Amino acid sequence: MSKSNWARSVQKVLMAGAMTAAMGSSAFAAEAVKMGCVLPLSGGSAAVGNQTKVGVEIAAKQINDAGGIKSLDGAMLEVVFADSQSKPDVGVTETERVIARENVSVLCGAFNSAVTFPATEVAERMKTPWVVVGSVKDEITERDFKYIFRINNKATYDAREQIDAMDMLKDEFGSGPKTLAMLYEGSDWGRSHAANVKVIAAERGYEIVVDEAAPPNQTDFGNQLLKIRAAKPDAVIVALYTPDHLLFTRQMMEQRLDLPFGVHSVGGGMEDPAFYKALPPEAAFYAFVQEDWQIDILKVSTDPAILSADEATKAALGYGMSAYTAQGISAVYVIADALERAKSADREALRAALAETDIQSGPALVTGYNRIKFDEQGQNTFAHGVISQNIGGERKTMWPKENRAADSTPVWPVPAWSDR
Amino acid sequence: MDAFILSYAVVNGLLQGAIYGGVALGLSLIFGVLRVVNFAHGSFLMLSLYISFWCWSLFGMDPYLSALINIPAMFALGYMVQSVIIAPLIKRESAMVVEPLSALLLTAGVFLVMDNAALMAFGPDVRALQAGYYVPTIVVGGIPISGQRLIAALAAFAVAGGISYWLRHSDMGRAIRATAQNRDAAAMSGINVSSVYAMTFGLGCSVLGLFGALIAPFLPISPAIGLAFGIKSFIVVVLGGLGSISGAIVGGIVIGVFEAVASQFVTATSASIGSLVLFILILIFRPQGIMGRA
Repeated sequence: MSKSNWARSVQKVLMAGAMTAAMGSSAFAAEAVKMGCVLPLSGGSAAVGNQTKVGVEIAAKQINDAGGIKSLDGAMLEVVFADSQSKPDVGVTETERVIARENVSVLCGAFNSAVTFPATEVAERMKTPWVVVGSVKDEITERDFKYIFRINNKATYDAREQIDAMDMLKDEFGSGPKTLAMLYEGSDWGRSHAANVKVIAAERGYEIVVDEAAPPNQTDFGNQLLKIRAAKPDAVIVALYTPDHLLFTRQMMEQRLDLPFGVHSVGGGMEDPAFYKALPPEAAFYAFVQEDWQIDILKVSTDPAILSADEATKAALGYGMSAYTAQGISAVYVIADALERAKSADREALRAALAETDIQSGPALVTGYNRIKFDEQGQNTFAHGVISQNIGGERKTMWPKENRAADSTPVWPVPAWSDR
Repeated sequence: MDAFILSYAVVNGLLQGAIYGGVALGLSLIFGVLRVVNFAHGSFLMLSLYISFWCWSLFGMDPYLSALINIPAMFALGYMVQSVIIAPLIKRESAMVVEPLSALLLTAGVFLVMDNAALMAFGPDVRALQAGYYVPTIVVGGIPISGQRLIAALAAFAVAGGISYWLRHSDMGRAIRATAQNRDAAAMSGINVSSVYAMTFGLGCSVLGLFGALIAPFLPISPAIGLAFGIKSFIVVVLGGLGSISGAIVGGIVIGVFEAVASQFVTATSASIGSLVLFILILIFRPQGIMGRA
């Protein structure tokens, strides 16, 4: 190679390098927007946390594949996951770490109300917006906080919907429960739900005859079941996470405990797809579940983002979308919407944009809501769930009546074990 | 409170108590001989539950049949944990102390490693085994008794009786008892103390292997399940008398029946607190436990 040739090729290489650098700088001009996501990835609620995580990942990927946040020159969404281990103290330290060390613009999480409640306090203090995922404890959006937003129901809504469904069925069939038993897990979620049920049940003329809280990870529900048998309630309202809900449901079947108007679960275990894989299907027949999203949405939705998210969930988890996956998806789309309008990853700008949220279409509504709009406390007042009944292993929406499919008929009262 | 509900509560308590006792047997045996409080006891149970679960889900093996794999596997694991992890510690401290307290810390480490390894390996999902057949619920005087729980409860009595008999009437049993009474004297009489220790630890774990197979059919399995049983086992064993085989069963039944009956009057949570008050009261008046020797 002659000297001039050599010089020329060096020149070429340098130019190519410079061009690559220039291209690179344009493609990466927009710095990725970091969002934190605190979830119970291990511990008692790990099954749920991992489903939400999959939803968050799917939504972030969909948004990034579609060109990222357009108003920020196509900035990519980068999700930083933090594991709360289903424990409040760990959730709080992880929140501090993600805000201070990872420098995220916005947070979401953390399913367990007991974790979300103190963790959102940290976020409020450190002026970082937090989109609540899954937690329903009322007080989370009753503290006059400025940085906390909740897309889903609060506990009062859940409790009211359960009693609404009983009232509706009573009107429809002419009979219904008068006495209720309550069995719930003893931390924030279960206790606040029970307190709400008590208030609403008293207003509507129901009598609570058993009121039992149980600490998580029980090894036996025989004692509580016996107490329910002795008190002879017409129906039982259950708020338990997956392992305890499984044990309760299995023992209820073993002991052939008959309740004329059945089991009314507020979700938790009975919304977890893992629940139905770990139980003979007939154990959950006729159970009513307060669902955090419209479970039959996939039959009515035509949104390609929602349908492809269901496929992606199946690929990741082996089963389709659950309420938890859907809530993860919804949270990311709400955050992306706020980022588009804020045109900035700045926490203050993002908070202002979140407060202005008014979504009436698109994949953010995957949970079956008609609208997402926050009140001054950060609560989405358009949130609602549905009440389903398990008919032959399929959970069919029964309440609200207008969401009920033509082929869904409630079974009311519920047949005794001996007649099944 | 009518008599029917009360007798129903007692039956529930007996079943659950006997199962607590059966699970605690291994803990008591190991403490009685090695003077080691095995903090990882619950984790061993968790592992044996998973063994039965995988035998069923991978090979379609009947959960009760899986005891044939579970018992030797748990024996081998226990033997190994003792001879590899705990033995060096006992050897080092044998001159100084009779009850190696640091072994408690060591087994606490084993507990952390096992529970977190299980979380990594098996994931956090709750799993449950579903036998292809239905073990019938027996109804006695209107009280339904779960067949699966009855089998486990009866096995607890049988295993406790079997171990007591074996300890009294076999050469190995005598060697184990001699070692428990006086380690140095036993060694001087020609007993291989370290092998007795490893055998005892293996035996204690193989009892868990059996109960893993017996309770897997009705208990949802998750990596955290060990802790719930582990703590109950401690209470049961201390209440019954550390090191006493019959004490484990008696302690289990006392706790089980007390909780079952008390929870008909107060919430089940308060009943559990009450059972701890009972525990403290019994220990004030009988510090050695119900069946323990002073």
